[in-house]
Amino acid sequence: MSIIALLIFPGGLFALACGLAYEWVDRKLIARFQNRIGPRWFQPVADTFKLLAKEEVVPAGVNPGLFTWLPVVALAGALTAALYVPMAGLPPAFSFPGDLIVAVYLLSLLTLCTGLAGANTLDRFSIVGAVRTLTQLFSYEAPFMLALLSPAIVAGSWQVSEIIAQTGGQWALITQPVSFVVALIGLMGKLELPPFDAPEAETEIVAGALTEYSGRGYALFRLGRGVELVVGLTLIAALYMGGLANPIDFLIKTLGLLVILALIQTLFARLRIDQTVGLWWRYGALLVLAQLAVIVGARLIV
Amino acid sequence: MEANKFIVPIGPQHPALKEPGHFEFTVDGEVVTNATIRLGYVHRGVERGTEDRTWVQNLYLIERICGICSHIHATAYALGVEKLAGVTAPPRAQAIRELFCELERIHSHLLWVGVAAHEAGFDALFMYSWRDRETVMDLLEGLSGNRVHYSCNLLGGVKFDIDEAQRDAILRGLDFLEQRTHHYLDVVTNDAAFLRRTRGVGMMTREQAIEYGAVGPVARASGVARDVRVDAPYLAYDQFPVNTIIDTAGDLEARFAVRVRELFESYRVIREILDKLPPGELAAKMPRKMPPGEAISRVEAPRGELFYFIKSNGGDKPERVKVRTPSICNFGSVGRLTIGHQLADAPMILAGIDPCFSCNDRVVVVSTK
Repeated sequence: MSIIALLIFPGGLFALACGLAYEWVDRKLIARFQNRIGPRWFQPVADTFKLLAKEEVVPAGVNPGLFTWLPVVALAGALTAALYVPMAGLPPAFSFPGDLIVAVYLLSLLTLCTGLAGANTLDRFSIVGAVRTLTQLFSYEAPFMLALLSPAIVAGSWQVSEIIAQTGGQWALITQPVSFVVALIGLMGKLELPPFDAPEAETEIVAGALTEYSGRGYALFRLGRGVELVVGLTLIAALYMGGLANPIDFLIKTLGLLVILALIQTLFARLRIDQTVGLWWRYGALLVLAQLAVIVGARLIV
Repeated sequence: MEANKFIVPIGPQHPALKEPGHFEFTVDGEVVTNATIRLGYVHRGVERGTEDRTWVQNLYLIERICGICSHIHATAYALGVEKLAGVTAPPRAQAIRELFCELERIHSHLLWVGVAAHEAGFDALFMYSWRDRETVMDLLEGLSGNRVHYSCNLLGGVKFDIDEAQRDAILRGLDFLEQRTHHYLDVVTNDAAFLRRTRGVGMMTREQAIEYGAVGPVARASGVARDVRVDAPYLAYDQFPVNTIIDTAGDLEARFAVRVRELFESYRVIREILDKLPPGELAAKMPRKMPPGEAISRVEAPRGELFYFIKSNGGDKPERVKVRTPSICNFGSVGRLTIGHQLADAPMILAGIDPCFSCNDRVVVVSTK
């Protein structure tokens, strides 16, 4: 039973397919918002196979072991996170008290691996990209974590399925709008989507931390990012939009969130890295802390 | 590389550059502390090439110096040669040349808005401005049969006349573009997210602009009223004048605003020309060999003052043609302006002068090492 959960559903193949499909929807939506045609539905799949088939060049001066295994760890982290969230609207494959913390930690693994991959090479674009990736990680990670913890505090549990059961179909985003917005934008920061794409700003530092990656390593990082997009959307939809009752409910809620993400990506110019840090610590973190204070205060009184 | 210096190389191959150039930004963390520029990767020997071609053949070679402002190069050359021959093109030809100049300015400025927005990671503006730019490209194709190299000039006049149907098409196209340009002006002066990347970035004071010899919209955005169309009218610019657009702020926002507001001037002048197009011949007779002598001609390209020096020894080929494009005047400012800014601002400051590499290419190294 658990081998199926790991390899086919909800981890493994299903998560990969879902990641590619959501990546396509994201790209297509942005293209339409920008008055472009956009890619065909199988483009992300074709990209992945092309990259997997390409020769992987290991540049001089890197630690070859790290260079090869960092993409694997990054993808594994994202796929493992899929086991603890209600993918496709079904109950999580594994569940135990505190699994929310594990899921959030696993989601950070991708960013951490990207940063290490950049720092591992001698390329100057990669190093600048790695510094920016890790700077961005430090700026959004705490507000993002706090934003996901606020429904947990309301429910009095750190178990995803328990929090969903506690809300009983109530949309937490109505009572906790601030942390919902912070969580959604934090997810964009995690995935380095525009306008938070300074770590891979092509007009400055080519492809950022992943500049030296071609072939398989790059394909795995891309797959990991697709899976993380789905897992992140699922987690936010489950915690803030009254849980995910069935596959249809899952599709409507996560795709709805994806439309919002695509709109934000279209509307804004890229933030400089200092502006990103300023935004998170000056506004994101403070707003979430204020909301947490209100929630904790309300719980003490009631 | 010294131990305490971290240099980020941009180019000659880099996604930010559409043409090759080499820039080395020395950074301290994210802050640029020094910048060097090296040009010359696409030197094509056009000036030497002109000496092996006849006066008429050169018209077509010269037009290919630039793929964006092709018409203005041919016009500057034609004006210089006409000055040598002592021939003046008929008024109708002059007006049609001016019309092409302004249509070209529209497509060049719209192109730049897109490129500069892309440097800031604002791809929505990039895609929309390039979509709308197709309108003016279609108009140019409708007039000349070509989108890029219109070849509308002859020595002594122009090839094409403008008929009623083309006139109506231009007016319709301009109405659409004018409405879109109002929107772009609103975006570049009011969009809060975009202003965070342009306001106060790449500040160049009036004094600096004069000291660095900036020309065109870059100088005008720093409050220097420098526009050949107004200072020394050529073609029909004394009959159909333009107003100089000035902004005193001197930052990237001002450079956006100046270029977008110049579009409105171009729309107005084109409508005026179409309204009062002088009747008459399209071309005057030109000799095959030009009398010996030297001539200079100055015109206002979309990027600023374009300067031609032409020398004849009385033969059917020029002895020397010297081109000074506006980008070469503006490049000097880039190195200085980026110092003290974030690395992320450097490509935007570079794009802010609307650099055109292969037009100006010669071996230039601006180094402070």
